[in-house]
Amino acid sequence: MSPSTLLRAQWLLTWLMPSAYAEALLGDLLEERRLRLDAGSPAGVARWYWIQLASSLPVLIWASMYRRSSFLTLVIAVASYLAVGGVAFVLRTALSPMTTSMFARTVIDVLLCGVIAMTAAGYVAALLRPGAAPLLAVLVLVGASLMMVLDPDSVPLWYEGSFLVLGSLAPIAGAALSRRWRKA
Amino acid sequence: MPRGEFLGSLEQIVMLAVVRLGSDAYGMTVRREIEERTGREISIGAVYATLERLEAKGYVSSFTGEPTAERGGRAKRHFEVEAAGLQALSASQEALKNMSVGLSRRWKRA
Repeated sequence: MSPSTLLRAQWLLTWLMPSAYAEALLGDLLEERRLRLDAGSPAGVARWYWIQLASSLPVLIWASMYRRSSFLTLVIAVASYLAVGGVAFVLRTALSPMTTSMFARTVIDVLLCGVIAMTAAGYVAALLRPGAAPLLAVLVLVGASLMMVLDPDSVPLWYEGSFLVLGSLAPIAGAALSRRWRKA
Repeated sequence: MPRGEFLGSLEQIVMLAVVRLGSDAYGMTVRREIEERTGREISIGAVYATLERLEAKGYVSSFTGEPTAERGGRAKRHFEVEAAGLQALSASQEALKNMSVGLSRRWKRA
């Protein structure tokens, strides 16, 4: 095991867990590796070492995400925001053949696709992390505001305004629904 | 009993290994004890993540030992089970035992 490889492993582990634990974990790996070298082939022991490190990483990453609860909240909020795009697309595709009017289409787009998808996302996000739904509302607010500033002519102003207000409130409504469901 | 006091299966296995090992309980020995007794392969990372979670719940405590040469100058982290941990372990084992009463014939049939 080269010193640089060990240093890299130590740096990564120290980032993922408390430093005393990371040092102990690496010491344990080195101690067991030494014991195994006395009984087995170097190639087999090297394979064992790397399998241990590789299989430990997902567990430690997950544990680290839980420890840094704010980071996990952010991840869930962003994932929900991205998932809304998919849900809204499916709803829009399913509902748009029902009307040919531009106004009706836009209403369906804003009121049904946007609001329903955002409410559902807020509901799921709040189930996973209570703080994720308000964060999702902030993301929607920022996203819609950016859309209004950067591309003001793409859709009517009333559409953008409606989406800004209703889209931001929808995740909060979803979170309220999830709280109600939990209490029940 | 409140729901939160039940331990997960890996938490129970890790705590039982710590109890068995006594003063020699640290990451490597806990991992090896689990593999030897259960035949279940477990990563050192899973052992530490579980121990860290148990320590946060107040079920185990840990202290740093002296650094040794065979560990590349790195210290061991020793673990011991606290009274609250023993209580939670006992409650979880009791719950499993109670849920299993009278079911052994069904397992034999399966």
